Amino acid sequence: MDLDSNRKLIATALAAAGAGDRNALQTVYRLTGTKLFAVCLRILGERSEAEDVLQEVYMTVWRKAAIFDPALSSPMTWLIAIARNRAIDHLRVRGQNRRMDPIEEAANLADDKPTAEVALQGAQEQARLQRCLDELADHERAALRGAFFDGNTYEELAERMKVPLGTMKSWIRRAMIKLKACLEQ
Amino acid sequence: MTDIGDHEAFSADELSAAEYALGVLAGAERAAAAQRIARDRAFAALVAAWEERFAPWTAEIPEVAPPPQVWERIAAQLPGAERQGLRFWQSLVFWRSFGIVSALAAACLAVLFYLSAGSQQVTLFASIEGSGERIFVAAIDAKRAAIAVVPATYRADPTRVPELWLIPSGGKPLPLGVLPADRPTQIDIPAAIADQVKRGAALAISLEPPGGSPTGQPTGPVIGSGTLTNL
Repeated sequence: MDLDSNRKLIATALAAAGAGDRNALQTVYRLTGTKLFAVCLRILGERSEAEDVLQEVYMTVWRKAAIFDPALSSPMTWLIAIARNRAIDHLRVRGQNRRMDPIEEAANLADDKPTAEVALQGAQEQARLQRCLDELADHERAALRGAFFDGNTYEELAERMKVPLGTMKSWIRRAMIKLKACLEQ
Repeated sequence: MTDIGDHEAFSADELSAAEYALGVLAGAERAAAAQRIARDRAFAALVAAWEERFAPWTAEIPEVAPPPQVWERIAAQLPGAERQGLRFWQSLVFWRSFGIVSALAAACLAVLFYLSAGSQQVTLFASIEGSGERIFVAAIDAKRAAIAVVPATYRADPTRVPELWLIPSGGKPLPLGVLPADRPTQIDIPAAIADQVKRGAALAISLEPPGGSPTGQPTGPVIGSGTLTNL
């Protein structure tokens, strides 16, 4: 199925779920469950917790689908954001993040290149984002990665990268300013 | 450590939207941003734009199939899980959306369902209002000869119960039954009066002794009424 028709299917099912159609919610789940589970699992790092969070994610989708605003977000982005935020909320409640190993900028660099598989998926937005991430300094990209994929806070990132908190805040702010400018080109 | 440029390139709002979308905030800062999204549409738009920028990054996480019990647990939590063939107007989500979104959006939702779910034939709606408030909302499922009635702002009376009446144009009130004050209900339309349930007729609610009016006509105050209209 091509990306665009998949997108339309998700949007339609989401609208129907918003009006209270359980089968439509199941359709949303079938179309997006593997993706959102992967996102939860990546952030939480533990299967049973990721399963609990995934359940919460779709109950949130069920409750909020009626107020989903397609003028603000694409359906997939909206769903990913719910999954990430739910997972991050669990991390914050849990306290210390388990991913506190030191971040090596150089190791991170290799990890950062898009795999062939990702390239094949061909999402234009992904290629564009990757190009703009590649333009960041290594330490900036590494900090963003820690926040996005490991759910680290400013404080945790400062600890992992062994810099003062103020420096970390400055790195991330500057990275986001550059990223936005690049994506808008 | 920071250049002056850092602070000029982003407004404070843009920065906290980006920080929230990235996920680096914690504690009170994170909670404040989350709450602001709910009430500040301009801020919500900034957050959504940042989520849109970051979301494609998730493409590098290989998808993982969740075990089947996750969906089973979700399904068990959904309203009406014990019943087969839930109808949309039995869903609280639908009615809540009716209450909080514009009438136009609600009509769109209903029409969407009218088109997408063949067996559901909601043809008429009534907003039952009194003292400037919508106290109940009613929808008629013509095919099933049933009325769904949902309390909106109705506040329970300590000694009396709300009773629903059909008032045909130019006719006397016909009793449809006593309503629960705090939850949606469905009332079957008696066959004898089914043909009077049409556009232009009114639904009204009076307060009656527990068990309903003893006389077959309203005996207590009429607290609200509304005309049946097509969507």
